[in-house]
Formats: sequence, C-alpha cells, structure tokens
Amino acid sequence: MSEQEVSMEKLATYEKTWLDNAFWETPQKQLLNAICEYTDEKNRKIRKVLQLPRLDETGVENPVFNQCVEFLGDDAIDASTAERRRRKLEEAEVKKQKEIEKQKAKKLEKLFEYKLETFEIDEIKDSKNRQLKSKLRRAKSIPEVNLYAMLIIKDIADAEQQAAE
Amino acid sequence: MPNNKQPSKGYLSVASKNQNFYVYAINLIESVKDYYPDARYCLVTDEAFLDGRESIVDDLILTSGEAIGAYRAKLWGMARSPYDQTMYLDADMTCEHEDIEFVFDDLRDRDMVFHELSKERENYFAVKYFNYGGKKEHMKLCGGVCLYNSAKPIVKEFMEDWWQYYSKQYAGNWMPESFDKAEFNKNLKVFDQTTLWWLTEKLEKYKDLNIGYFDDDIRWNYFSQYAYDMLQSKSGKPPVMRHFSGSLPKDQLIV
Repeated sequence: MSEQEVSMEKLATYEKTWLDNAFWETPQKQLLNAICEYTDEKNRKIRKVLQLPRLDETGVENPVFNQCVEFLGDDAIDASTAERRRRKLEEAEVKKQKEIEKQKAKKLEKLFEYKLETFEIDEIKDSKNRQLKSKLRRAKSIPEVNLYAMLIIKDIADAEQQAAE
Repeated sequence: MPNNKQPSKGYLSVASKNQNFYVYAINLIESVKDYYPDARYCLVTDEAFLDGRESIVDDLILTSGEAIGAYRAKLWGMARSPYDQTMYLDADMTCEHEDIEFVFDDLRDRDMVFHELSKERENYFAVKYFNYGGKKEHMKLCGGVCLYNSAKPIVKEFMEDWWQYYSKQYAGNWMPESFDKAEFNKNLKVFDQTTLWWLTEKLEKYKDLNIGYFDDDIRWNYFSQYAYDMLQSKSGKPPVMRHFSGSLPKDQLIV
C-alpha cells in the first residue's frame, strides 16, 4: 500500500467539511478536485487539497470521493465546474489580450525609435516642410515612415530642380 | 486697478548631458506644435548640442555653471521657466492629441500638478517603497511631467531647492538622517524623485504648497509600458503625451 492510499483511508475516518469550489477534472467525472477541512487527533485544523479518483486501481470506490459528492451534491459540483471553466476561459482571454497589447506597445516603441533615426537623416533633419514631417511623425508603421521620408526627399529634389531652372 | 493681464503659459523641456535628449526634445517640441501650433515652448539645453533645429523653439535657455552637462539639469531648467504657468515635459515623450492645448486648465488654484505613482502603475517605477525613520514610506509623485505656477515665488524657490538639494544628494553630500543609509546609497541617491518626496513631505517650508494630480493624469504621462497592462485613462480618452522612458537608448547614439 502506498503512503497516499494509507492517508486516504485515514482521511475517510475524519469528519470533514468541503469547500464549495470542487470541480470535475474531466467530463467523465472520474476525477474530482476538492478542498476539505477537518480537525485531527492533535486538535489541529487541517485544510487539504485533494485530487480524488472515483475508483482506486482495483476498481473499488473511493470513500473520500463519495463523501465529497454526498456533502456538496452532484449538481453543485457541476455548477462549480462550469463556473470555473468560464472563469478560466475569461482569464485566458484577458491574458491573450494583454499579450497582444504588449506586442503592440513594443512595436510602437520600435516604431518611435525608427522615426527618431529617420529624423536624423540630414535631408530630413534640415527639411522645412513641416506638413510632411508632421505626417512622418504620425505614421502608424515603418512602411508609412519610409513613404513620408521619401516624399520629404522628393520635396527637396523638386525644390532644387525648380531653383536650377 | 485690477490686474487683468492673462498669465503667460508655455511648455518646457530640458536636454542635457547626452545628445540624444536634444534629439528627443526637438521631436517632442515639433510634436506638440503639430497638435497645437500656437504653443509657446522653451527648451533648456547645453550649447554644445545645438545644430539649428532649436530654431523651432520660442524661448531658448542655455545651461550654465553646474547645470552644463548635468544629469538632472531638468530641475535647473524648471526653476528658470520664462512663463507664468509651465508644463514641464520629459524630453523622451511625444504628443499624440490636440488636448495638449488644454493642460493648463488642470492647474486651477494649485501650485503644482503631477502624475501619480499609483498602485496599478508601480510595476513601472524603479523605486516606490523605502524606509524613512523606521517606517515604510512610498513615493507618490512622478516628476516626468509637472504643471506648475511658475509665477509664484515660493514655487520657483521650490524648483531651485529641488535642483540644489538633488545636486548635493547625487554628489553624496546630502542625505536626511532618517533615510536608511545603505538603501539610500543603493536605490535612492540617484533619483530626483527622492528629493521631491523629501521636499514635499518633510520640509516645513513647503508644507502649505497646494500640490495635486492631473484630473485624468494617465493621459498626460502615458508610459509606453502602461499598455503592457492595458492601463487606460479614467475618461476612456486616448493619451495626450506618450512617454518612452524605458525603451529608448540613453547613452548609445541614435544613429
């Protein structure tokens, strides 16, 4: 007998209360996650987190599993399982959204740095075309930055050509 | 006769020690003027950085004396604002919204207005909690932006004291005895926030200053990392000023 089985047998003898957040691990309801509280022989208040199989390895029903289901009720565990699943999906969605926002923010930081580098190109640095420079500063992507950078260079070239004519 | 003269209002940024800050500041000033063409802007900078782009500013103050190349010359600059009401902005920011024009409305009858180091934002600040006189204290004001009544002598004096005390603190010549020395030297000495906390919380001379936060303060100093936690403004409006403090190179040249 393993140590866990011994402690499970022992556990079955205690009078326990069960927290109402127990949930099925699988839709087949063969494995139950639950937290119980009881007082041991030394008068210590114990809180124990358990993963309870319905049957042991030999196919015999687990008394602690049955005690938990009897205490909380099958419907309450179903409801708690559904609530947990909803919460976990919501948390996963928030986490996913946060990761997307983080990537967007990092992209924005890189874009800002790229703009500053672009503004350091001599022709752009010296350009007096505030309108195009403003558009470059507001650009939402690197290709857009490049586009306005080229327009600024073209603007200078056009002005030089006009001056030469 | 009543004085009906309207107070002058302007923005101020400081670029010192590192050429990058001059580049950041020019970009910032141009971005403010993109959204608010009539903005008056004062740049405080080291003469060595000037390359002609400073022609965009309305008022130029060149650092002098100990402020030349100083790590926190911003404090020196803040004390020398040419305006009656000043909106100080860290150089590594950019303007993204036309509401920049209305920031002065937030001053009301207050002396200084800051961005708050609130609980939800504490992940993004280097130091928030520290020991003082055996008690755990925390910083509340972020000096990245500051709207202040620069026409008021006591406020100007405050800014000058901030600069003077910080300079001594940074040089290792000043530390109020209630700080924990080891912690001070390791974490606090380098920060102008430390001096700001002490001046506003512990110095009798400034106890009557009317200091507050911007009404929707995240809009005026939206650190780019705030987006990692999806932090938003109270009003749901987009940021006015985005701050790239944590992501830009401070010491490497931009190009």
